[in-house]
Amino acid sequence: MTTVHQTLAICAAVLGLAAAAADRPDVDVAVLAAEMVSERDHITAPELAERIMRQDASLHVIDLRPRADYDVLHIPTATHAPLETLARQPFPRGASLVLYSEGSTHSAQGWVLLRLRGQRDVRFLREGMYEWLSRVMEPRLATDATDLERQEFARAEVQSRFFGGQPRSNMPRAEVPVGYWSAPSGSTSPATASAGPTTTADAIRATVGAIRRRGC
Amino acid sequence: MNAPFGETGALGPSAVLWLAPIIGFAFGWFLERGGLGNARKLAGQFYLTDLTVFKVMFSALLTAMLGAYWLDQFGLLDLQLVYLPETFVAPQAVGGVLFGAGFLVSGLCPGTSCVAAASGRLDGLAVVGGMLAGVFAFNLAFGWIEAFYDSTALGAVTLTDLAGVPRGVGVAVVTVLALGGFALAARIERRVK
Repeated sequence: MTTVHQTLAICAAVLGLAAAAADRPDVDVAVLAAEMVSERDHITAPELAERIMRQDASLHVIDLRPRADYDVLHIPTATHAPLETLARQPFPRGASLVLYSEGSTHSAQGWVLLRLRGQRDVRFLREGMYEWLSRVMEPRLATDATDLERQEFARAEVQSRFFGGQPRSNMPRAEVPVGYWSAPSGSTSPATASAGPTTTADAIRATVGAIRRRGC
Repeated sequence: MNAPFGETGALGPSAVLWLAPIIGFAFGWFLERGGLGNARKLAGQFYLTDLTVFKVMFSALLTAMLGAYWLDQFGLLDLQLVYLPETFVAPQAVGGVLFGAGFLVSGLCPGTSCVAAASGRLDGLAVVGGMLAGVFAFNLAFGWIEAFYDSTALGAVTLTDLAGVPRGVGVAVVTVLALGGFALAARIERRVK
């Protein structure tokens, strides 16, 4: 065996064995489905706000809306990238990506794109820009709020002021969407609404009204 | 500019057609220079007296595999766009046996028969003739064997898909097998000589 043969064999061995170490395992779609079902695919707006406030270095917030909308208003620290850019944009190793769009369609599609590209830490704002505005910039407290809601609101007020928002207390209950706080009080949950003084139809009307008002 | 050029649109359909014969001639040239236009040399593979075929084919396979894998890793080639032939277990097993029998009888395979014919060997010309006759007979008989031809389909799968291991592990295993094979071949050839 000549030196050339030996050199070639060593090169092949190095490249071949490095392949086993370098390979990113293919993303199993069953794993993705499990993440979706267990809701590990999204982040709430207050959680995102908290990470921005403590200047989380691994955090990359990406705005998927049209450029013009991004220029008018975007979540602080967010960069703009449409879906087609997202498909090939490089990210640093260990980056923690948070996507948002107007609603949830584009950010959910972006989530799948990035997970299939092998990015491990990807989340999206389920209700997009609306969620940021309603829960971080303008958190609302109903006049008949429970103690738990008041505690949540106190935390939200700090975030809202940090980002230059306007916390709003003393709102009519109908102006505070159902499930607005992470631990909604009995009177706001549809299940108990039917048992209380308001009827199910009233609760549905109030919810539909709230969704219409938010224009989303 | 990313490969495969024909699929990504870097090269148009006519450019791809012009490129094909150039790559074909280069392939034939290297087969001939590797000594694979000689039927005696090829038949030596089956009697373990000359392992040139194994060495040439496995070096080509190893080079292509490592090249394709690493070009894909560096983003210069998209392996998702490279055509992967479908697997039909039973018909391909029968085809493999027929192919091996023809190889042993003639001492040439389809590629090397063209190389042998091009370099003026009459046995190469005869094998090319036989191959074309076989293609013709296959097409005449296709109606009868069609059901078998389409049976036991697995789709476009790879061994790593079936084993459920990452592609890179498959690359490493094939590399180790090939290098082990080269060492064994060198040993066998030394003993024969």
